[in-house]
This record gives sequence, C-alpha cells and structure tokens, in this order.
Amino acid sequence: MNFLYFDPGLGAMIVQAIVAVAAGVILFSKNVMYKVKAFFGLLKEEDDTYDSIDVDEKDTDLHDKTH
Amino acid sequence: MTKHTENLHQASFRDPSGYMFHDGEQLRRRIHPIYFPQYRALTDSGFYSTLIKKGLLIPHRETQAVEDGIVITPETIPFITNPYEWSFSMYKHAALHTLKLQKYALSKGFILKDASAYNVTFHKGKPIFIDTLSFDFYEENTPWRAYKQFITHFFGPLVLAKYYGTEVFKMMQTHIDGIPVSLIASLLPGKSKLSSTVFTNIHLLAKMERKHSEDYKAETKLASLSKKSQENILESLFDYIKKLDVKEASEWGDYYTKTNYDAIAFEAKKKLIREWVLPLRPKRLIDVGGNDGTFARTITDTVSQVIVTDIDSNAVDHNYKQVQQNKEENMLPFVCDVLQPAPGIGFNNTERSSLLERLTDFQPDVTMALALIHHITLSGNVPFEKSAEFFAKFSKNLIIEFPTREDSWVESLLVRKREFINHFDFYNESNFEAGYAQYFQLEKKEAVAGTKRILYLFKAK
Repeated sequence: MNFLYFDPGLGAMIVQAIVAVAAGVILFSKNVMYKVKAFFGLLKEEDDTYDSIDVDEKDTDLHDKTH
Repeated sequence: MTKHTENLHQASFRDPSGYMFHDGEQLRRRIHPIYFPQYRALTDSGFYSTLIKKGLLIPHRETQAVEDGIVITPETIPFITNPYEWSFSMYKHAALHTLKLQKYALSKGFILKDASAYNVTFHKGKPIFIDTLSFDFYEENTPWRAYKQFITHFFGPLVLAKYYGTEVFKMMQTHIDGIPVSLIASLLPGKSKLSSTVFTNIHLLAKMERKHSEDYKAETKLASLSKKSQENILESLFDYIKKLDVKEASEWGDYYTKTNYDAIAFEAKKKLIREWVLPLRPKRLIDVGGNDGTFARTITDTVSQVIVTDIDSNAVDHNYKQVQQNKEENMLPFVCDVLQPAPGIGFNNTERSSLLERLTDFQPDVTMALALIHHITLSGNVPFEKSAEFFAKFSKNLIIEFPTREDSWVESLLVRKREFINHFDFYNESNFEAGYAQYFQLEKKEAVAGTKRILYLFKAK
C-alpha cells in the first residue's frame, strides 16, 4: 500500500532504469580502479567527514539480541 | 476530535500520515490510523530504534496511543536551519544523509517516500532526519518515488553550486519544492553533460520529464526497477556528491590573518568577551556575523547552545568543519545576511518560519555582534536606531563592538563613499550610543586594548 501524496513524475520513474545502468557501469569501473590503485599503493585518504552510505549495524544488533 | 483544538505546526499539513502540533512548549506528532501499519512495522522491526541509536533519526517517545491516533513526542531541536541557510558541506552532508537512509530503508523493506531537504536539519553538530513518518513499505521492483524530489532538493542545487557557488542555494527560498529539473538542466553548462552521473540524473531526467509531461490520466505503465539497480543509483549519487567541491572566493578571505590588530589585541578581545559573558550565565547565545566561530568558541565550554551566523558561506563551512572535527554538540553555524534575513516562505508564508521568528523563539540570553555594526551602518546604510531595533527584537543582553572612525576597516568603508563621505559624519560613538539607547540600557563600555574599537554591553529595556 502506497500513499501517493505527491506526483513522483512519470519521466522520473521511467528514467531510473537508464540511470541505474549508467550507475552500474560507473560503480563497476570504480571497483576496478580501486583494485588497480590499491595494487600500486595509490589510495588516498578521503577528506570529507561524512562516513559511508552503509549503516554499520554490528553493535546495534548485539544490543538487540541481549533483550 | 482533538484535531481542531490542537495548535497545528504550519509546516506539516502536506503529509496525510499525520501532523505536528504544539502542546504548550512541546512539539508533538500525531499519527493518523492510515499510517498505523507502517508505524507499527517500523517500530516492531527495530528499524526506528536502530536509526535512533545510530544518531540518524531524531529520537521519539510514544506518549499516547488510542484508536483514532497515536502521539509521539520527538526530542526537541533548539533551532531549525533551512537549506538556504546551509554552507556547502552542510548541504552535501544533508544529501548524503538522505541517500544513506534510503539505502538502509531499502535493505529492510522500506523506502523514504519523500526526499525533501526540509526533512533534514542540523542538531548536536550533525545532520539528522526529522520526519519520522517519511518511511513507507517497499514494493518489490518499484522505482524510488522520491527520486525526482531528491534531484530537485539536493542533487540539482549541489551540482549548480559546483559551477556557480553557494549563492545558488538561495534559490531554494523561491522554490520550496526544489529547483525545477528543467531549470537546473538549462542553467548547467554544456560541459556538465560529460559526467555520466550529471547527464543521466539531470539532463536525461529533464528530457524524460518533458516527454511524459502530458500523461494527465496517469495511464502509462510505470517502469520496474530491481532493488539492486536502485542501490546502484543511490551509491553512484552518494559517491558523486561526496567528491563534490565548490570553488569560490571568500567574502572575508582569511579574515583573521588579515585583521587590522595584532595577536595580543586579538587575545585581549577574547578575554574581555569571556569576562563579560560568564557572569550572565547564558544557556543560549547567538553570535551574529561570527565568522568561523573563533570568538564564540571562547565560551562554548559554558553555554549549552551556541549559534553562529555569517554572511560568508565559506566562513560558515569552515566553522561546520571544525564542529565535525572536534565533535562539538553545542555549536550550530549557518549562513545569514543580516541585511536580508531569511523570510517566511511557503503556503500562507508560514511553512518555513522567517529568521526573526525563529530567533524570537530561540530567545538567546546573549547576542554578540562583533565587527559587524560598521558593515550594517556603512555598507548597508542602516541608521543606528534601525539596527538597534533589529537586535532588540530577540536580544536580552547585547555585546556589540563599535569600530571607531579611526579603525582602518571603517576608514576604508568611508573612503569608498567618495563624494558622499560627508553623509556619513553621523558615524561616531555618541550617535551610536544615542541610537541604541532607544532600545537598550548601557551596562558596560570598554576600549579593546591595542585596537580602535570599543566593546559595549547593553541590556534590553
């Protein structure tokens, strides 16, 4: 059940299929480049303070299990 | 029905799932039965509690649960900043935060049903998501409904800022639902198409939106999109935004390395401010025109809420980076031009409060305005009694620095008036005091050693 309280935009819904293909290619080449750079020891440290896109659940899972 | 007696918050009428209301001082959120299934699933699965533990979502308590409505009480946020008041890094982090939440939601069978920039604000030194009812169930293989909103609220403004600087964020003041995709696409330079992320997420999106703009009956079948594909979109946007940078000259440059007074005077000013602030025992303090927070940081150890504004987005950004690095929880920087503070915007002009309304609610115990009055008076041509009226609207105690005519900054501002220099003969100590006497009582006055400046402490009448 979805509450469509605003119009998501039809073009925006359709375009995501194409965007995803391009994104897949970029991410794949990024992984390749990462491995190449790691091999030659060229990895730089990131300077932005925001951490990764993934939520690290390790400690929270542990916490949940004790309850 | 309690609905009619509750004092509705002006910003929350768009979402049919529930609304915010004022219960005395406390802001609460009422959830309608239509959203009960989602709310229960989000609560019972531990989704909310994980996000809250991780500091990604504003904590809330369920304070009432009856048949026709559940009431939750979120943790109070002392001061809400809006997207058009954020520096580049702040804007960037709010965008990354939204993507992170969507990716996590997806992994747990939920989605963010909207991606409004107003769903994120800054609290305890970090971006935090504040719209607890923004989550919905994920339907297998559906594209992200809020994708376009993410582009118009976050991605578009950020990419525009990359080319034209952070002034672009002020366009959010005139476009409460984000900058239209077609406008973003037409403003961006042709070379922006060379990036496949920008090309697909903006230029291609604009084209597709144009093509499908006449589907009045919503007849065209919606495309399907696998979960993995959607994750790819989120990750590539995340990577692109994280690397984004803005190159713009600062209004003040390295102000403190170019000040017209030496290190000893600088320390003397810091000491004087601390001596004056401490006896006032403030809980909330605002430093207007506070640059990167250097002077406000002399008292952050004793004040629980410090907000620092500056007209210069770079200075605010520098301040925000220090907040992040030092993990400061009581310092909130944001961009503000005193000569045109953020107005009330949206439906009825009340959806997003004006800066003055928010400052009046914030009720700072101490207002600081250091090295600011000569800019307001000489660059902005604002008479002393008018700037006094402005400060009086929200200040109890005002610590204000008056650079005299002999100060080199003032000299420079006066010289630039050229043949109109005589029009500014009123700029002196006694006229300043007379102007402020209309709204304030003079408590203390002291020359800052080693400078041509005087520090005043005024109390509101």
